[in-house]
Amino acid sequence: MPQWFVNGLRRGVVTTRYPHQPDVSASFLPSPPTFRPTELTREIADSLVQICPSRALTREGDMLIFDAGACTACGRCRESQPRAATTSGQFELAATDRSALVKRVPLLGEAGR
Amino acid sequence: MTRRAPVGGSAAANPDAENAAAEALRCSVSSQFGRSLHIRTLDTGSCAACEQEIRLLAAPHYDLHRLGFFFTPAPRHADLLLVTGPMLRAFGVAARKTYEAMPGPKLVVATGACALGGVYQPDAFSYGSVDQLLPVDVWIPGCPPSPLALLQGLLVAVNRLAERVSELSFVAGSAS
Repeated sequence: MPQWFVNGLRRGVVTTRYPHQPDVSASFLPSPPTFRPTELTREIADSLVQICPSRALTREGDMLIFDAGACTACGRCRESQPRAATTSGQFELAATDRSALVKRVPLLGEAGR
Repeated sequence: MTRRAPVGGSAAANPDAENAAAEALRCSVSSQFGRSLHIRTLDTGSCAACEQEIRLLAAPHYDLHRLGFFFTPAPRHADLLLVTGPMLRAFGVAARKTYEAMPGPKLVVATGACALGGVYQPDAFSYGSVDQLLPVDVWIPGCPPSPLALLQGLLVAVNRLAERVSELSFVAGSAS
């Protein structure tokens, strides 16, 4: 007899909390990038915008606009600019508002000033 | 329970009213469905990676039934529509019929980067994103979203977890 069934009969609670246990696979799954503003110049930002296959990145002046909803976590930005983009490890990204997924990253690299 | 107009309809002209209606719907779902909710999945042209992850939700490791979620084969029995894919135009009528066949209150969850408008632009073949056709309540990013990400999205949809993404900045050295 499954243990959860016995526990459910005994305590009257058949559900468990989320997450029941930490997701061991979360650390090596692909995840959206995290950007280092001090490593980002306009040129580097433009190269990232060029390389992004899912149009998750755009540049507006001295701001890099990152749409986490459009990001496919392909890792191309991380590969081409390892200093400016690293993996975030975030996966709990559900949003109740689409605009909450659009993030603004300031370009604080030296040539970007 | 009032039926919400799809995005692009008259309700889209008043985003505050739209947000208030969405919040009221979420609260009512939480109180009416309590701990149990039935999910109908809808593939609108996805590559099936999202479906693979959705299938894994029912596996013993994730076991979404413990949280009170169940899959149902019929939209008539469904409370939540889990939509994947970029919403192909060929599928538009079927998607709308599926949505209209569901009894209210109902939720729509857009799943994966295609459904969120990341991969395909609107063109002759696809609407580009799910919210072009259906009123989306929760967006789950990822390509594909991992089962735990889906689970978190479902719990956000029924108001049992607070969403976290608006606190994340994706800027190194800050909160994320």
